Amino acid sequence: METVFVLLPLALLIATIAVGLFIWAARTGQFDDLDTPAVRILFDDETPRRPIQASASAACAEAPGAVPTASQLAKTSVGTTRRVPE
Amino acid sequence: MMSAGASRLAPVAPAVCAHCGLAVPVRLVREGEPLQFCCSGCEQVYALVREWGFDHYYRLVDRQRGTIAPARVTGRSFEDFDDPHVQAEATIQVGSDRCRTRLYLEGVHCAACVWLVERLPAVLPGVDEVRLNIGSAVADVTWRPGRTRLSAVARALDRLGYTPHVHRASRAQEARRVEDRTALARLGVATACAMNLMFLNGALYAGEYSGMAAPYVALFRWLSFAVAIPVLLYSARPFFQTALAGLRARIVHIDLPIALALAVAFVASAWNTVLGSGPLWFDSLGMLVAALLGARQVQRSAQRIALERADSLRGVAFLEFARRLQGDAAAVEVPLAALAPGDRVEVRSGELVPVDGVVLSGRSSLDNAVLTGEAIPLAVQEGDAVNAGATNLGARLVVRVDAVGENTRVGALLAMVQEALSRKPAFLRTTDLLARRFVKVLLLFAVATGLAWLHRGPAVAIERVVALLVVACPCALGLSVPLAVSVALMRAARSGVFIKNPDALERLRKVDTVLLDKTGTLTEGRPTVARWHGEDAVLRLARALEAESAHVVARAFQRSYGHALRLVRSVEQVVETPGQGIAGCLDGHDVRIGNKAHVEATGAAVPDDLGRLARTLVDEGLSPVFVAIDGRVAGIAGIGDALRADARSTVAALRTLGIRVRILSGDHPSIVARVGAELGLPADDALGGLTPEAKRDVVSGLVAGAGSAGAVVMVGDGVNDAAALALADVGIAVHEGTGATIVAADVVLTREGIAPLLDILDGARRLRGVIVRNVGFSLIYNTGASALALAGLVGPLVGAVLMPVSSLTVVLSSVLTRTFVHRVSRGAARPLTAEAEA
Repeated sequence: METVFVLLPLALLIATIAVGLFIWAARTGQFDDLDTPAVRILFDDETPRRPIQASASAACAEAPGAVPTASQLAKTSVGTTRRVPE
Repeated sequence: MMSAGASRLAPVAPAVCAHCGLAVPVRLVREGEPLQFCCSGCEQVYALVREWGFDHYYRLVDRQRGTIAPARVTGRSFEDFDDPHVQAEATIQVGSDRCRTRLYLEGVHCAACVWLVERLPAVLPGVDEVRLNIGSAVADVTWRPGRTRLSAVARALDRLGYTPHVHRASRAQEARRVEDRTALARLGVATACAMNLMFLNGALYAGEYSGMAAPYVALFRWLSFAVAIPVLLYSARPFFQTALAGLRARIVHIDLPIALALAVAFVASAWNTVLGSGPLWFDSLGMLVAALLGARQVQRSAQRIALERADSLRGVAFLEFARRLQGDAAAVEVPLAALAPGDRVEVRSGELVPVDGVVLSGRSSLDNAVLTGEAIPLAVQEGDAVNAGATNLGARLVVRVDAVGENTRVGALLAMVQEALSRKPAFLRTTDLLARRFVKVLLLFAVATGLAWLHRGPAVAIERVVALLVVACPCALGLSVPLAVSVALMRAARSGVFIKNPDALERLRKVDTVLLDKTGTLTEGRPTVARWHGEDAVLRLARALEAESAHVVARAFQRSYGHALRLVRSVEQVVETPGQGIAGCLDGHDVRIGNKAHVEATGAAVPDDLGRLARTLVDEGLSPVFVAIDGRVAGIAGIGDALRADARSTVAALRTLGIRVRILSGDHPSIVARVGAELGLPADDALGGLTPEAKRDVVSGLVAGAGSAGAVVMVGDGVNDAAALALADVGIAVHEGTGATIVAADVVLTREGIAPLLDILDGARRLRGVIVRNVGFSLIYNTGASALALAGLVGPLVGAVLMPVSSLTVVLSSVLTRTFVHRVSRGAARPLTAEAEA
């Protein structure tokens, strides 16, 4: 039974570490947003087709409205993702 | 690879928008095209999403059950975002070369948006990370000022259909978050310690029955002393702080008896630990703190939802930027602070006038409803004065700046709101009222106990008094109200009612007067087709033709009857005559819609009965619009600001509850009187022609006059209502109200209409019931426990059992009661669970 003199303080020490970790997590804002992480985890790990870097930077540098029309785009890709209302 | 799909993707019926999935108006259906779009916004967004290789977005959207609204692309340049002062409001420096800016995004609807927005770093050089919070629609963008500009990020977001706004409330929000995090840490420490204290003291209680060697008893006692120290010094600090602050202000707060019990329990137990004998109360102390902090944390998080939503809505500042003209160059978007009197600014159609000034060129009509309450747009031309905050409904205007920001009329109104908010008196909560009596009775009991046990010696008497003070701690009382309130707040939020200030619920238990604004509150605030006379076939043709235009009348038709989908097969030769009407050839019929001169231009004559109808419409305050088919005038529409569908029933329901309903409006008294009559209100309860100052004074007069008769509730949507909202006992901002009302109001509705008002009153009444019941429970417990303590029957074990039992009763009673009826909220950016594909 004498072991409690060692084990109890040891257990409390471990508990202190756990509480310390919790305080760290709380203080660094890890409990701030409880909604989005639940959603984010469901995204598949697929990297989108990376566009050529030059065209992307040009796209954001130029004035808005200079987007290619859908019909132009449609010539290069199939509309596989068209939605139909239920 | 596309060309092969032409036959497969031949026109589908009905055509759906490739981006948002809504029906495509007939005139926009492109025969033979595989992709159809309902509007140019959707088309632009779709093209960009494809161009950037983010097609996966549509697969994610497909998994959501929610609907997407058609995308809105403003096409702004967002140059004003590059202004250091504008950025400073929401930006923090991260490391040496990076910034993190908080932006509020309009149009965030589901998990797919999170995916799309967070992919931006892949296509925008200089943007390191984007994190979007789906609940509040606030994105944290980490970017390198050396490599990109904030305006480039903003443009990209805008082109994806998310209109960005610099999140102005982020300082206040950050401060609140830090507070929340500390509170959570305190709760964590208290809970961990309370559990360990329970184990340690459990061993001691067991030891008392089965016998335990002295060294072990000493070990357990000293260890529980050690574990209790952080509870008292760290977790329980807020109780002592509030109690002391209350004492300094001579207010007895509910925290005072709690702090007293904690202090007495700790000091007595610490003393007994040192002595090595006598009862220890450490476990009760730990449990008390953990339970109370837990309840408060629940209320905090419930309140945070409402506050952050209000912050986000407020993040869309009322006036954000102006388009400044210099020389002949194109307009440059600048922050308002950069403007000086004498500058010229451009105001495009649909935009807000950013300054007070004079029109230099252009003709248009302005909607002043949020400023004055007038429902009818005001025509302006060269030389006319315009006010900041008015919406330009017509063509482009060039305005000379006379006053900016605080010096404008709307700036003065906003200052008045701030002043009114600072004047709002503090509210004495039920618990605090009870606490005062509670403390008195408690002290009486303590003295009685001390005297009753004095004959057994001072040591025994002190022990009994300590036992009394500890078990009589109003723990259940302190738990009951925060829990009941937070349950009500969460239920209310789910039904589209965001309660910023929980005190409002207590104030609403008795309502004397409800004051309603007219334009935008009782009415839609936008022109709709209020009356229609004519055959359905005529209406169908009229709707189909009006779907082709963006005129005020056309928008009224679109708003009243929804999308004109497949009404006719062909629409040709559409001609709009400004100030007159519209004409076109639909399915071979010649259709003309407009004023009398316009429909009579081709030889048709307005029949007498329709002419008479037109006059009655004018008398009702509506604008008559004639519809002629093939040279015959066959229908008439009354365009105007119609009452909301739920206005009549809500007002009637309020009146049956014995509440006086009055209208406070800035619109012309004759129009207000007519609306009042339509709602069945006495003539002197429909007040029109009120300036914002007059509204404020009416409200403060009523608040002072009503006194104990009940609360004065103000409901409004415009800047002109904001000061009145702030001064009323309870201010309620309706759905889509301006930012100023959201700041000023205690309650913000995110559901359309004014029917939620009844839910709020009902919820407040039920909440009152729950609180009374809980207070009853806890008082019974406290009296019983005190009586036992007086009789000397209470030891630490009895206290440790009684306290959780009483708390549990209160918790169950709070959580199980339905305070707010659950209704599905519409259009709110609630997170929808992304479902994994089966």
